Amino acid sequence: MSSVKPSPTISDYNRPFYKYAGEHELRLQKCDDCGDFWAPPGPVCVNCLSTNYTWTQVAGKGTLASWVIFHKVYYPEFAEEAPYNVGLIELAEGPRLLTNIVGAEAGSLERGMQLVVTFEDRPDCVVPQFTPV
Amino acid sequence: MVVDAFRNALDDSGLQKSDVDGIIINIGTPLGVDYDQVAEGLGLDILMADETWTHGRQLAGVLAHAAMAVDSGLANVVACVCAINWARGGTVGSPGQNQDTREIGGAHFESPAYGMASPGGAFALATRTYFDRYGASSEDLARVAVTIRHHASLNPLAVRQDEITVADHQASTLICEPLRLLDYCQTTGGGCVVLVARADMARDCRKPPVFLSGFQGMRAGRREATGARPGLGIHQQSLAEPVPNPRDLKIYQEAGIEQSAVDALYTYDAMSPAVWMALERFGFCAEGDAWQFTNDGHIGLGGSLPVNTNGGLLSETHVSSWNHICEIVRQLRDECGERQVENAEVIQWATNRGDSVIFRK
Repeated sequence: MSSVKPSPTISDYNRPFYKYAGEHELRLQKCDDCGDFWAPPGPVCVNCLSTNYTWTQVAGKGTLASWVIFHKVYYPEFAEEAPYNVGLIELAEGPRLLTNIVGAEAGSLERGMQLVVTFEDRPDCVVPQFTPV
Repeated sequence: MVVDAFRNALDDSGLQKSDVDGIIINIGTPLGVDYDQVAEGLGLDILMADETWTHGRQLAGVLAHAAMAVDSGLANVVACVCAINWARGGTVGSPGQNQDTREIGGAHFESPAYGMASPGGAFALATRTYFDRYGASSEDLARVAVTIRHHASLNPLAVRQDEITVADHQASTLICEPLRLLDYCQTTGGGCVVLVARADMARDCRKPPVFLSGFQGMRAGRREATGARPGLGIHQQSLAEPVPNPRDLKIYQEAGIEQSAVDALYTYDAMSPAVWMALERFGFCAEGDAWQFTNDGHIGLGGSLPVNTNGGLLSETHVSSWNHICEIVRQLRDECGERQVENAEVIQWATNRGDSVIFRK
């Protein structure tokens, strides 16, 4: 069994997100017209439908909105890490991202805790994760 | 399964196969069968066929569409069909299922790169937030599973009929914390057919008809998230939303009733917290009170609002809640024996996603 975790499914919308992650930058689409950030990636601004947007680097700071701990292993590549967490991070800019929180014991996770972005370099991709400040 | 369910529906109604001229499939391949296979396989002559996304959320929409079809003359009798075999997809949430081809923004936030397997993951996210905001715990959540299992113990059709306790729930395996095995539904599958006919035809049928008297569509957009109700801050939901939101209560105006007239509630309970979410979304209790409402016995038989008396998806089985609709019909015909809701006249279908149907005797 491969130990390489599943890669994100790359679409026309999220390709830049993972390209910038590869450079260890967390960028989101920001509307050039109304200034809103949005996630997940999509074709237009969800506020004003503008197609004018810029992949803009965000501060990489956020708080923990919610999290779960997988005990059952659905994806065999995660077996070694189980139980492992998946957290919902509310970025300072507003949008929320689903990701893993690394460098934190399961019992230390708390709603509202401060987190910063970090990047996991995998053999075939780089994914943003978060870690306690 | 489609054949058995279709035959049973015809027997129940006294209608002939040739009377059925409309068909809507809720959940086709890969979990079930598609409209053309069903129409050909049953030798039907269909004037109006339709089929929904392969997902368990379209029940109210399918019933509404069927009602509009017979009301507008597109068809006289519409067979609403849901027959699914969960074994066709392997363990729900495992790699390669059709769900995980739509990551983040997909069916239930599947995100394999982060190990986010769902739908349990999505419900667990909402449950964690609910526990934190309202002071509930896994022991409280257990009361949902225990109550609904008791209902199943009175239903010979239920897959799980053995009673469980809060202690059993607490001893069951953690799957996606904070959810345990006994918070998860039975993914065996089954088949249901609901025939929607013009009221004048239905009145002449073999058994007393059940009337559809109000509809509310499934909501979609950034206020909505699988496993949650609006206002929980899951996915991109705002936290600033009234619970209940008055716009979700329009169903009662549609049906011309007060909420207090509702004798029983049926809801999508693939995971036990969905029951809490629906109770609050529709204002059966105040925001954050559903766990106490449950602990006080309201959702059990004999309570003020019995919920999922068939045993729900949690314990009867998961036919995408069409089995709940079959139970609603049985209840309104006083066919439920020990689990009969006394004097049931008005029953509501309503879910954490905002969709609803009012059924009347």
